[in-house]
Amino acid sequence: MLNRHQIELIHQEIDGANTPEQSTAFRALVEGNPEARALEADLRTVAQLFDRGGERQPPPHLRQAILDALPRQARATSGWDVIGEPLRAIVHGLLTGGGVMSRKAMLFGGAAVAIVIVVAGIVTGFPPGRHEAGTIGGVEPAARYHGRVMTEADVTLKNPEIQALFQNDQVLQLVKSDAFREVMNNQASRLLLASDAYRLVLNNPAYHQLMASQAYQQLAASQAFRDLQANQAYQQVMASQAYQQVAASQAYQQLMASQAFRDLEARGAFREAQSAEAMHALQASQAYRDLQANHAFRDLQANQAFQQLQANQAFQQLQANQAFQQLQANQAFQQLQANQAFQQLQANQAFQQLQASQAFQQVQANQAFQQLQASEAFHSLAQSQALSQAFVQEAMRAKQ
Amino acid sequence: MIEAHAAADEQDRALVTRFLEGHRDAANGLVDRYHQRVFNVALRMLDNVQDAEDVTQNVFLKAFLKLRTYDPRYRFFSWIYRMTVNEALNSLKRRKRTVPLEDELDVRAPGLAADRAAELQDRLGKALMSLKPDDRAVVVLRHFVSFSYREIAEVLEIPVKTVKSRLFTARERLSLTLRGQGA
Repeated sequence: MLNRHQIELIHQEIDGANTPEQSTAFRALVEGNPEARALEADLRTVAQLFDRGGERQPPPHLRQAILDALPRQARATSGWDVIGEPLRAIVHGLLTGGGVMSRKAMLFGGAAVAIVIVVAGIVTGFPPGRHEAGTIGGVEPAARYHGRVMTEADVTLKNPEIQALFQNDQVLQLVKSDAFREVMNNQASRLLLASDAYRLVLNNPAYHQLMASQAYQQLAASQAFRDLQANQAYQQVMASQAYQQVAASQAYQQLMASQAFRDLEARGAFREAQSAEAMHALQASQAYRDLQANHAFRDLQANQAFQQLQANQAFQQLQANQAFQQLQANQAFQQLQANQAFQQLQANQAFQQLQASQAFQQVQANQAFQQLQASEAFHSLAQSQALSQAFVQEAMRAKQ
Repeated sequence: MIEAHAAADEQDRALVTRFLEGHRDAANGLVDRYHQRVFNVALRMLDNVQDAEDVTQNVFLKAFLKLRTYDPRYRFFSWIYRMTVNEALNSLKRRKRTVPLEDELDVRAPGLAADRAAELQDRLGKALMSLKPDDRAVVVLRHFVSFSYREIAEVLEIPVKTVKSRLFTARERLSLTLRGQGA
């Protein structure tokens, strides 16, 4: 009976892994031990069979299929970042009133189309009519359909990037969650996904840049922002025509990008200017005077939509909202205001339509949606490059 | 052999660097160098051409998505083979969870059924599939990729001692299986 050491010697000799001393010991063993010789013969046969097996040629189309599935942007240091995390959308506007004591600082932010919608689109094949679901149990990758013509559903589910998503524990955790399922059963979510405005926004380069910005990501993770999203007054303001017009106006966009405005915001001046004393201090500041002299600011003051917005009750309620005020103090939020991609997005008609849509408002107000947004898995997933890439390809497919 | 490995490592590193600098053609270079080997490892692990194709595509997609996280101090081939084995193991797990495909839908290389080489492949494939997936991975890396114990340990991130243990046990079992098949 061979012992473990002797068996190892034989295996290692076959693998060419013995030292010269071990090889000497091996030769002595097989010369004097028939069992060792038999084992060696058996194992060599196995090894030779595998050696004769050799390499198989891969299918001829495989190389091209691999290259076709690779990201469009090869530049990993910035290309992925530009693609970014196109899984949530947000609009924030920021306005300030001024010139007279009674005018409060005004600031309002926009809305979000969250990752869940995109994940849902990928996983379930929403919106209906674009491509059908075909998932097994909502979580498993689809079993293959050999021997029949490929359908669009197959394309979606067989995409390597989609399959890669399903191997991500966080994705699995997310899609198994009750919140996710509830959102998926929400009619508003379906309507939103099916809207042309939604697709147009997703194909907008400014949107992708915005999603990639650190400021946006920080902001989206903040509690104040989530609280604000749930606020009814906020939702009304976002849906108002006056807001849409103001946000799209050149004067507004210039103002948002102005240094004077950002200086005031960075100091939390508007937020604190609720008392007469604070307002006096604000008015005495150089930044405030610079703002008054700002051409864009003056144009905005004269803008009818802006005036309507100021008179809007929901807007006034919004200003008193604590989450809203916290958001004003948020540095990421302030950076976002100055973000060019953000400004371009705000001026985008499809984006405005999207924001104003009832489905969008309903999705935002949906409790399950808010829970989902707040979940750790959701945030982790938002950082997934694979998902970003999958999303971009999905969006491109939807566009075709 | 060591020199050849070092040269190959250097070429891999150069291609990775070029890719990270934005040169798309570097991706082609890496795919050209590794797609056949990745496919073969996957095929030996899964014994199914279509699954091996899927795994190969996934491996490259993930590799390029994660290339920024690749540490050039380590060898690229270890990295990509590790991904291949892991991807194949995941594929096996998914295979268990999904409804088994019909035998006739199991796609194999066409036109080789009567060929002696194909017969041998078939027997080897069946024998390999009789092993536990972890043991199979060791055998595949040793016999089809010709990796040393140390390289297998590096790829699978297990001790050399474990590599030997798995390999020796698996090979003895293969011997019995193949003998049973009349090999």
